[in-house]
Amino acid sequence: MDFVLSQLAGFGSAFAALVVDPLTYVYLVTSVFLGITFGALPGLTATLAVTILTGFFGNKIPLDYSMIALLGAYVGAIYGGSYPSILLNIPGTAASAATAMDGHPLAKAGRGGEALGLTTTASFIGTLIGTVALLIFVWVLLLISKNIASPEKALLALFGILLSGTLMSEDLVIKGWIAGLIGLAMAMVGMDPLLSEPRYTFGWSYMLSGFQVVPVLMGAFAVPQIIEGMRHVEVGRMVALQGRILPNFAAIRRHLPTITRSGVIGTGVGALPGVGEDVAGWVSYGVGKTVSKDGKNFGKGSLEGLLSSETANNACIGGALIPLLVLGIPGSPPAAALMGAFKINNVIPGPTIDPEIILRVVAIMVLASFTMWILGLFTARIFIKILRIPQTVFLPVVMVLTAIGSFSVGGGINDLYLMLGVGIVAYFMNLMKYPIAPLVIGVILGGLFDETFRRALFLSDGSLGVFVSRPGAAVLLAFNVALIAAQIPMIRRPFQRRGRKEA
Amino acid sequence: MTTNDHLLQSETPDRKTQLILRTRDFWGALVLLGLSAFFLWRTSFIPLWGENRAGVKGGDWYNSAALVPWGIFSAMFVLSLVLLRVAIREGGAKRAMSSVGIGWDRVEALRFTTLAVILFFYIAGLVPRVDFILCSGLLITALIYGYHSGHVARMVLAAAVVGFAGIYAMALHLPRAAWAQHDDDWLVFALWIVLTTWVLWSERGNRLARVIPVISVLAPTILVCAMAFGFRQNVPNRGGLIFKQIEYQYYVTLKPFWSGK
Repeated sequence: MDFVLSQLAGFGSAFAALVVDPLTYVYLVTSVFLGITFGALPGLTATLAVTILTGFFGNKIPLDYSMIALLGAYVGAIYGGSYPSILLNIPGTAASAATAMDGHPLAKAGRGGEALGLTTTASFIGTLIGTVALLIFVWVLLLISKNIASPEKALLALFGILLSGTLMSEDLVIKGWIAGLIGLAMAMVGMDPLLSEPRYTFGWSYMLSGFQVVPVLMGAFAVPQIIEGMRHVEVGRMVALQGRILPNFAAIRRHLPTITRSGVIGTGVGALPGVGEDVAGWVSYGVGKTVSKDGKNFGKGSLEGLLSSETANNACIGGALIPLLVLGIPGSPPAAALMGAFKINNVIPGPTIDPEIILRVVAIMVLASFTMWILGLFTARIFIKILRIPQTVFLPVVMVLTAIGSFSVGGGINDLYLMLGVGIVAYFMNLMKYPIAPLVIGVILGGLFDETFRRALFLSDGSLGVFVSRPGAAVLLAFNVALIAAQIPMIRRPFQRRGRKEA
Repeated sequence: MTTNDHLLQSETPDRKTQLILRTRDFWGALVLLGLSAFFLWRTSFIPLWGENRAGVKGGDWYNSAALVPWGIFSAMFVLSLVLLRVAIREGGAKRAMSSVGIGWDRVEALRFTTLAVILFFYIAGLVPRVDFILCSGLLITALIYGYHSGHVARMVLAAAVVGFAGIYAMALHLPRAAWAQHDDDWLVFALWIVLTTWVLWSERGNRLARVIPVISVLAPTILVCAMAFGFRQNVPNRGGLIFKQIEYQYYVTLKPFWSGK
């Protein structure tokens, strides 16, 4: 009980410190507005919003303000994706793909205002559910993580990359794994962390410090988006917004069980390493379709369907921050960008993180979700106007933002060459349906994996038994093996046969 | 067109996409195989078995800097073989040499090539050598004009303008010591004016054409000033033609005025 009270007191003081600072509001309103704009414009994503702001704010402003800007943009962008989903039937972000299934039919039926109002409130409640889970579980996991040593850390990093590769692949799962391996390989460039042995530098001194995270993020997420988006696209017919946006509280109360269920699902999916808001939205939509009484109307303009995906994708944010803060393993692609921001601010997320930072993150999340709610309800018509801007007009500006952001963090022109190189490779990978998220997670976790894997072997004098003798490591090893084995046809076949027989 | 190509044309769109993907996977797997083999060879240069270096024994194999890279590139080699097998089994190898098989689209290839030219010369040629406001203004104008309507001729013109400026800057000022010269700034400025005039003249009556100059001037100017003076971050080419003047006026005129000195 004392522990809970002390945490609440810590959260209260972090919250009060933010609330009394006028600059908080400047960063908060600007970043949430920018985030919603990024989410609302098809072609820009939440990951891109966080990545670009990481480059823009870099490490030159205090960490608190930097976190407000990035978390505000993250929360805003995930919510902002619902605008084009509902009004244009084009998901603003991948996270809002499931939203379009019911949101657009509702708008066509003249219930666009109602859909937007409920979506805004559900996203707000979803973000709060994720944040509460973050406040509770982060401490539980932090206590457990004190017992996590090198073998567990290495296996967790590998699990994050494998899981992300498995779940984010649109095509063959091995493509996700190959993307993860490319990311890991990129992380091997430079001086090795234990013996300072130079690896794959090809005599170029810039490579000695390895690939910088921000240019890699910019290249992987921004450049392919710009190349893909610079084409003539007929803007879809926007459905005129009808009805009031301010939601009816009786309707919210009626849908509260759906919102709560979706919030919990979203948080759970977000807590899985490397799995993003899009997966959360679809999983929650699928569960909703199965368990809801209105399931047969999903896809035809069901409010339950709309709320299932929209609540889950926002709740996923809090969930994604749990493994990031506790283990240093990003829970989603935007969280990977957030990790890049932490790194350039010399904050190393993981078991040794300053608990004050976690409390401030929670306080910022609460403030960001309130800001998103208020902006969503009262300035929705501004965002609807923004939807009309063609992507061939805003993407060139994004390119300039990307260039200046990449340059300013490292201060070198080499970072720009790296960004462009990674961007072109990422474009071709997109073209061949390789997911990019595992690559970025591989780059971010590669150093951790290399160091902890070798440290574990060093402490056991080269015995691989260290990965099975510790219970935590044995469980994680089993997860990794199961994840790989599940994709081997010879092993899958008997399970599929048994499944068919039972059906 | 080969028999395979005819068969491909008769498939459903989803199946056709999948077949094209497998053909691309065939080539992708070959590239990955080559790359992983190359990097396995490069990894062999990193001591694995605790070699002696100048009489000092290195670490053991399990502590070697080569251990994890061996694992990564071996895994990539094996996965590339699996991908190659999947691609061949699903007919990727049969269609590998046909343009229809790999899903070649001439207009799309031209769009990508012109964009790649623009981005390469902007990043490698102009940003290090030319004033950031000028080169970004030219980039924004070229990109919006070149790609908004989807006309191939405009894409080529946009790439030619940025490419010419980039080649000039790189050819005349390749070494870092020559980056501070201003003749390339003037050239970019002239090209920007000419392109903007051409856009306004050829697109008379189009509202977007009137907005392009506003965006291309305001966006880079606001960004670079916010970055340099607001967040005090590094910006490219501080000695550029326009930024140098802005910086001078900021520190010599504006700042003392604000601080009441």
